[in-house]
Amino acid sequence: MSRIFVTGIGAISAIGLSVAANRASLVEGRCGIAMLGLFPSAYSGRLPCGEIRFSTEMLKEKLKVNDPGITRTSLLALHAFDEAILDSDLSDDQLCSSDTALIGATTVGGMCLTDELYQDANRKDTTGSVFLSSYDCGSVALYLQRRYKIQGIVNTINTACSSSANAIMYGARLIRHGLARRAIVGGADSLAKFTINGFNALHILSPEICAPFDKDRKGLNLGEGAAFLVLEKEEDVHNRKVYAELTGYGNANDAFHASSISEQGDGPYLAMQRALLSAQLHVDDISCINAHGTGTENNDETECRAMLRLFTKPPVFVSTKSYTGHTLGASGAIEAVYTVLQLSHQEIYPSLHFKEAIPSVSLEPARSYKTMQVNHAMSNSFGFGGNCTSLIFSKT
Amino acid sequence: MYIHRATCISPQHTFGEVDIDPLNISVNNQLHIIEPPYPDIPPGLLRRMGKAVRVGVGAALPLLRHGAAPDGIIIGTANGGMEDCIKFLNQIIKYEEGMLTPGNFVQSTPNAIASQIGLLNANKHYNITHVHRGLAFENAVLDADMLVRENPSGTYLLGAVDEISTYNYNIDYLDGWYKKEIISNKNLYETNSPASIAGEGSAMFLVNGKNENALARLANIHIIHTDDEILVKNKFSDFVKKNSSVNEKIDLFISGENGDNRLLKYYTACENVLPADITVARFKHMSGEFPTASAIATWLACHIIESGHFPQHIIKRKLKETAFRKILLYNNFKGEQHSFMMISKS
Amino acid sequence: MMETAELKQQLKRQIVEFLNLTSVKPDDIKDDEPLFGEGLGLDSIDSIELIVLLSREYGINIHDPKEGRKVLVDINTMADYIEKNGTK
Repeated sequence: MSRIFVTGIGAISAIGLSVAANRASLVEGRCGIAMLGLFPSAYSGRLPCGEIRFSTEMLKEKLKVNDPGITRTSLLALHAFDEAILDSDLSDDQLCSSDTALIGATTVGGMCLTDELYQDANRKDTTGSVFLSSYDCGSVALYLQRRYKIQGIVNTINTACSSSANAIMYGARLIRHGLARRAIVGGADSLAKFTINGFNALHILSPEICAPFDKDRKGLNLGEGAAFLVLEKEEDVHNRKVYAELTGYGNANDAFHASSISEQGDGPYLAMQRALLSAQLHVDDISCINAHGTGTENNDETECRAMLRLFTKPPVFVSTKSYTGHTLGASGAIEAVYTVLQLSHQEIYPSLHFKEAIPSVSLEPARSYKTMQVNHAMSNSFGFGGNCTSLIFSKT
Repeated sequence: MYIHRATCISPQHTFGEVDIDPLNISVNNQLHIIEPPYPDIPPGLLRRMGKAVRVGVGAALPLLRHGAAPDGIIIGTANGGMEDCIKFLNQIIKYEEGMLTPGNFVQSTPNAIASQIGLLNANKHYNITHVHRGLAFENAVLDADMLVRENPSGTYLLGAVDEISTYNYNIDYLDGWYKKEIISNKNLYETNSPASIAGEGSAMFLVNGKNENALARLANIHIIHTDDEILVKNKFSDFVKKNSSVNEKIDLFISGENGDNRLLKYYTACENVLPADITVARFKHMSGEFPTASAIATWLACHIIESGHFPQHIIKRKLKETAFRKILLYNNFKGEQHSFMMISKS
Repeated sequence: MMETAELKQQLKRQIVEFLNLTSVKPDDIKDDEPLFGEGLGLDSIDSIELIVLLSREYGINIHDPKEGRKVLVDINTMADYIEKNGTK
């Protein structure tokens, strides 16, 4: 079976417009969560979010994009996609070759344009806006496909918070089955009235900056961002740079409730176990974990239980959502990029805003930056509806 | 990959006592699902489900009776629970982002279908939702095919669903995808005008790698993104060559023609690649047009292979009597996303 | 201000409608029947929805779902709370 390597990465989030800027923030423990500012909403100035302080117009200018129907989600995707492609040194021919797959993920798609959507969906005028074909989840990957004339398999996955982790897994499997030679995989999500109000209605947004794994945590902060990784077969890498190897992946369904994870964390436990099995690794081989760690009462406690069940003594873990907020469909890919950086630089980042462990599980995330031996790193995404995915990357 | 069982809830009598000879007629350019009762869905969960979730779950559960626990649940849906989506959206506007009920939000997420099936089946295995518009079902097929190869002893639930809701009907209407003039699905292919009529439906399949007792074999699938009909024709031609042999000729071509005269060029180009004596059939007068309509076509192919019977109203051109054993499907969505599938008697 | 008995009947109708309890008739709900767990078998999403109902129909704003569960025990406790705190 082909070994899969990461040859290019791109990321944009509240803590940086590039991979390097993201890493600098992680190393320095610099949080990107602040009161919602750019976004027109009743929650503006009242809700802490991981907002990218770059307006949609500024993004269009920076990316030199004039397409009238383009959405913020697609712009963020394009930004990260361009960085990943440049980083991997893929040629134009390779990009539009029929053996290059593009697997995207998003939960919001073009629904970030909530007000325009309301007008069009209710047919408030006779012509409709320029965004008519931009609202659905497929619109983001389709935009990239059209722009770069990608001829291989193109797909979009939406499994809520585990979406882009599943995109990474799907891309790797396509390569292993000979259905693609290389896969550009990732996801994007932008802040939207639709999701802000949805999560708020469920009472899982924190009125303060989130504190993942802390006993007094009050909920999650929403964020936005995008990330892409270029996955290639070992035979195609030659002398080019390689960040890490994707050695394992596992997906499981929690099957407990539509919006909360089971008490013992069955879905998370099974996903991690399956990832280890696919990587042919033992629990002791895992050096560190990028946890899902949203800061909600339900997730953090059940995730800890699942880690204790599997590892007995869990390795050092961090929630980088304490920097970026929960970037939903993009979180799997953004956190995969951070995990790859940990392997590449042999370091771990601190989990922010943590003070005291949850009494029932007594687990503490990493509290300071340090360099350390990182051989195999796990990245977890456990979603709404119980969809749980675990990825394992290894040092090369 | 072998299809062992299949169900379909659609605007025609495709569920329970299947009888697709009579053709149910469209109303206001929409073909709505005939919803069956859902004895397998507990009332406590059913009350929350919007149409897409109800229909998708309702089509899947009969395949999961008697303790059947598939090794994975793979669903394709372009839009998920759109009606719930607009209900939540309308709440946001009406109550100016004030206190809102979360039920619609939770049910609107596209992965609610796969998630609810998993919940009802207490299924902790692989669970995924593909949402790539007109190739959502096809990506689900590819995924299931890979799973079957990875785990030859496994059985998987594969399917798709999409609904007509005021939301996506209005948006697609404004975008020029539904006919301005009211027509009947009976005359869908004779209307020489742009756009089609709206449809909805769900088809679910149990698939694995075992030949014995299979309904049909889903032998091959190919997907492409392009608006160039020459490229489509060339890829189609390659697909046909790769999938036919002297002993196993294609005997039925099911085309996704949908009455949109702008898209006819793709279907004509592909039809012209095939031998002139091949039977050509169409299905969108039965299902209407929607992103995952190819799942209905797949069900139809299985039904034809299994029963040996087909309704006359699907036939565009039939020149010889033959049992249909090897069926080629070509569908496109909005002239940009194309798929070819080969389904044969196993 | 309506009579308690009338309020309870109204509440039952509103709950059935709001939560789309298609297999339950308002008259089937007993005043002291637990709404959650046993009895009507509602869940956490329903508790949030009922808090919204209290806000929209009775002007009562409960911000913490946990606090809400103390009020949402059965029809009796709900009616009692509305009579003491309702503004509509």
